[in-house]
Amino acid sequence: MRIPLLRLLGQRLALAALTLLLLSLVVFAGGQLLPGDVGRAILGPLADPRAVAALDHQLGLDRPASMLYLEWMGRLLHGDMGLSYAFRRPVAPFVAAALVNSLKLAGLAFVIVVPLGIAGGVVAALHAGRWQDRAITLTGVSLTVVPEFVSSIVLILVLAVWLRALPISAAWRPGSSALVQLQHLILPALPLVIVLFGYIARMTRAGTVEALEADYTRTAVLKGLPRGVVIRRHVLRNALLPTITVLATQTGYLIGGLVVVETLFRYRGIGSLILTAARGKDFPMLEAGILTVGAVYIAATLIADAVLLLLDPRQRLGDAP
Amino acid sequence: MGQHRDRTAAAGGLSRRDLLARTGAGGIAGVLGAARPARAAGRPGATIRVAAAVPAGAIDPVTVADIGGLVLLQQTGEFLVYDAPDLTLRPMLALSWTPNPKGDVWTFRLRQGVKFHSGGTMVADDVVATMDRLADPKNGSNALSVFKGVLSPGGTRKVDDHTVAFHLDRPVGHFPYYVSSDNYNAIILPASYKGDFEKTFDGTGPFRLARYTPNAGASFVANREWWGGRALPARVEFGLYADQQSQILAMQGQQVDVMQQLTVQGGQALLNNPDVRLIKLRSSIHRQVHMRCDTGPFADKRVRQALALTLDRPALVAGLFHGLSDLGNDSPFAPVYPSTDHSVPQRGKDIARAKLLMAAAGHAHGFTVTLTTERLQEIPDYAVLIRNAAKQIGITVNLKVETQAAYYGAAKFGQSDWLDSALGITDYGHRGVPDALLSATLGSDGPWNAAHFRNPAYDRLVGDYVATTGLAAQRSIAGRIEALLLDETPVIFAYFYNYLIATGADVRGVEGTAISQLFLQSASIG
Amino acid sequence: MSEAVLMEPAPPIEVEAPPPRTRLASLRRSATFWTGAAIVLFWTLCAILGPTLVPQDPYADHLLHELAPPSAAHWFGTDQLGRDIFSRVIVGARDILTIAPLATLLGVVAGIALGLLTGTFGGWIDAVIGRAIEVMVSLPLIIVALLALVALGPSSVTVVVVIGLVFAPLITRTVRAAVLAERGLDYVAAAELRGESRLAIMVLEILPNITAPIVVEATVRLGYAIFTVASLSFLGFGIQPPSADWGLAIAENYGVIGGGYWWPVAFDAAATASLVVGVNLLAEGIQEALSA
Repeated sequence: MRIPLLRLLGQRLALAALTLLLLSLVVFAGGQLLPGDVGRAILGPLADPRAVAALDHQLGLDRPASMLYLEWMGRLLHGDMGLSYAFRRPVAPFVAAALVNSLKLAGLAFVIVVPLGIAGGVVAALHAGRWQDRAITLTGVSLTVVPEFVSSIVLILVLAVWLRALPISAAWRPGSSALVQLQHLILPALPLVIVLFGYIARMTRAGTVEALEADYTRTAVLKGLPRGVVIRRHVLRNALLPTITVLATQTGYLIGGLVVVETLFRYRGIGSLILTAARGKDFPMLEAGILTVGAVYIAATLIADAVLLLLDPRQRLGDAP
Repeated sequence: MGQHRDRTAAAGGLSRRDLLARTGAGGIAGVLGAARPARAAGRPGATIRVAAAVPAGAIDPVTVADIGGLVLLQQTGEFLVYDAPDLTLRPMLALSWTPNPKGDVWTFRLRQGVKFHSGGTMVADDVVATMDRLADPKNGSNALSVFKGVLSPGGTRKVDDHTVAFHLDRPVGHFPYYVSSDNYNAIILPASYKGDFEKTFDGTGPFRLARYTPNAGASFVANREWWGGRALPARVEFGLYADQQSQILAMQGQQVDVMQQLTVQGGQALLNNPDVRLIKLRSSIHRQVHMRCDTGPFADKRVRQALALTLDRPALVAGLFHGLSDLGNDSPFAPVYPSTDHSVPQRGKDIARAKLLMAAAGHAHGFTVTLTTERLQEIPDYAVLIRNAAKQIGITVNLKVETQAAYYGAAKFGQSDWLDSALGITDYGHRGVPDALLSATLGSDGPWNAAHFRNPAYDRLVGDYVATTGLAAQRSIAGRIEALLLDETPVIFAYFYNYLIATGADVRGVEGTAISQLFLQSASIG
Repeated sequence: MSEAVLMEPAPPIEVEAPPPRTRLASLRRSATFWTGAAIVLFWTLCAILGPTLVPQDPYADHLLHELAPPSAAHWFGTDQLGRDIFSRVIVGARDILTIAPLATLLGVVAGIALGLLTGTFGGWIDAVIGRAIEVMVSLPLIIVALLALVALGPSSVTVVVVIGLVFAPLITRTVRAAVLAERGLDYVAAAELRGESRLAIMVLEILPNITAPIVVEATVRLGYAIFTVASLSFLGFGIQPPSADWGLAIAENYGVIGGGYWWPVAFDAAATASLVVGVNLLAEGIQEALSA
């Protein structure tokens, strides 16, 4: 069993690398379409054309695009993400800082939504078909489909403007304490919680319903185990499998799809980094940001699959014939 | 850059200093420390916390082009001349400036005993190297658009260690503005500058760098060796914010004492806030609504006049700026410029006349046109207002609102929505004198001439204006330019809004310019 | 959201479906479906008839009455340019209800074509398109759409094209999975034996049998299209001024929330939420009926 598992993992990794390589090419090719040029983005629209040309030359941008790409790729293979055109500094610290910011926000959202979603899902499953189930499912579905900017606006109006309970923006003063940061993060995290709740609850509900009907649960009940123990030992463990998959796919979304929330709350995460880089045609920054999002997403999916394989023998048999 | 004068002069009374500097009889204004604003009796030792825009790129005096970058530059760096908020020039690193009779050689006497933060003494060689660096097309210098046709590499020459002569390509009566704080790139750097400003922020100013973290913040401490004595605050801390809204929130939360720039749009929360004091600077910040004079319906000047007549400017100023704005009269001569001729009648709203003009031009039933513009501050709203106004005379305006990058495009004719659109709105920042606006945006071969306006009489008048000295003579030429533009109306200038700086109610001594600079050496709290 | 949901590999929906009559019957009984339909119908009517019904010109500015709170004259107050918010909310669905369905249609058509191709032919076509899809979906949808719109410049047409093309891979995946499930069935083999061409089998035999998952996918996708268009408009890359679009209105006015002006955003937010929920209830109802 070990060896096919490793081989499978190797295959998946190779595919992931190929995907990232293609992604970098697509971004690079697409980047050529972005309006404006780098020198002008730095010097401003009214700059003298000679100054723009000189700056482009200094940055080495007056060479063929293919050469720029190969050079960048060569550096990347040596672990160097390159220099930002705009900041003329290494890209890595910028991306790292933005990623950490996004992870803070995503982490907080996860911490709130995972217990909430699982609890909701289990409650719905235990009352399957009754009003509790319908209420949770419908609320979940409705909340999930509301765009973040809409739920954010409602939350801002209620929590920040009317109740004055939370700060309206995620932009705390640089160097603020962890507590202040947390306070600023709650409001931006809530729209993500709202979006994810319905989804996680739904998955947990499905898993729980299935587990409740499974043979091992019936056996446990027949053995006379108390209901609480059955749910904890047998039902939850199995019900959480699909939930893990969901969490993994949502990680990709949380890291990269935060653009709206980041814009609304003026939060400098990876989404806003990518947007800014695209506007400034800062190609090394853009590539680094996008590849980071892609890599995080692929890694999350891989981890989820691996966890599933380890936890669920049925999957293993099915996947490695 | 710009014309040197102040409002006392505009009001009719020329100060002695003003008169002497302008006529070239000698800048005897070199009182030590004159660059400091009037001293408020503030408590020393404060830490001033500033909310500023996050710089768009590397902090390098040669290339900086955004307000986030330029405000950081001038915390440690200084200029030869300071263009004060009232548009008067005051000595900074230069003590005086005199032109030759023709006006094409300007001699600047430098302040002595000025030390760079890195230890060296500032001498003429440093000034020569700085100006040559900025004037050299090979350096990607953002000052090139100011110096083009005025100052070339090699034009700046050392006379002795404390005297520099600028040999210009053509006479420019008001050259000192071109090397003043108005030209925000013209920070005097050591001759040995290697392009690594960001490491130490090496300059001569009242503050020196403590720490700079890109995208986050910068802190500065008082420079004990400053030629002007010692700054009042012990420390200045800049927090860098991605947009105005987060700065406003920081102000409301009293996390900062000074906010670099407040715009009325979205700034409502601070406008009537008793905890906030607004510093209001009249300025020449404006939007140009260009109409293509060479093709399409706007080739007929009656149509251009008609569109200009549809705007209710006082209502615009009230609605978009809560009245914190001057009215524009369809020329670059902002009311704040001393040389502006105020006797030219102000254009107002006159739909009846506009309809007559449309009919006379053969457009009694109107036409359809696309208004192209950029997403910036109040501009999209202004575009909507123009659309509604134009509807009154049958012109159907479709809006195309783009990102700045898309709007400006390659900034070349034929490759730019800005320069190629039939009708567009473009943002222009504050300038101490209208010289660049007059020639670049409306001159026949102007690189920013989106209206494609070609008028030899206008070109001659502008040439005369730039070369002329003396306020009365300038104002008379200005009046003729204003009248000509009002008639031709290649561009609608509807307003010149005030530049607003927000500070805490207990903050004193903050001085700033409409270019977005902040001079904090006299600031105090409480 | 959504992005994530979109990335979730779509499970091939079992098409051992009940006969159409039962499906319709269960649809007719579905409260979810009818609630959704009512909401969507309401906004569609507003979009079509709104301009003739509203009390005031939704586009006319009154600069001296800007940011007036809700009152008898302006039920929902006025925005920063003094425009009547009630009238704007009523007509605000016009653009989004044009753009989102068109984008969905484009995505569905392209997705069906690609899905049939890959599912039917397999081989290198499947490998190449499959890899391309993999690349597309390894990024959040909204980032892909945003980058494309930054590059192309926002206009209604580009928004339709970009969203359509971004959706296409996801629909392709669903269609491909459905085709693969069908391909092994007897009627396909029978058609092959009859000597029908692969194109004919693809279009005439397989396609009619996978309409159920396609319809479900299309309605779900419509919900996301509305979601995405609204979000893009909010970010400034979707519907453009002077449209009264809700997302655009929120973008234009949310800067004044800090000053206590809640009405220029609150009603638009509620309207957006109701429309999105409506479309999704509709989709949910259809999905339940078709897979019941």
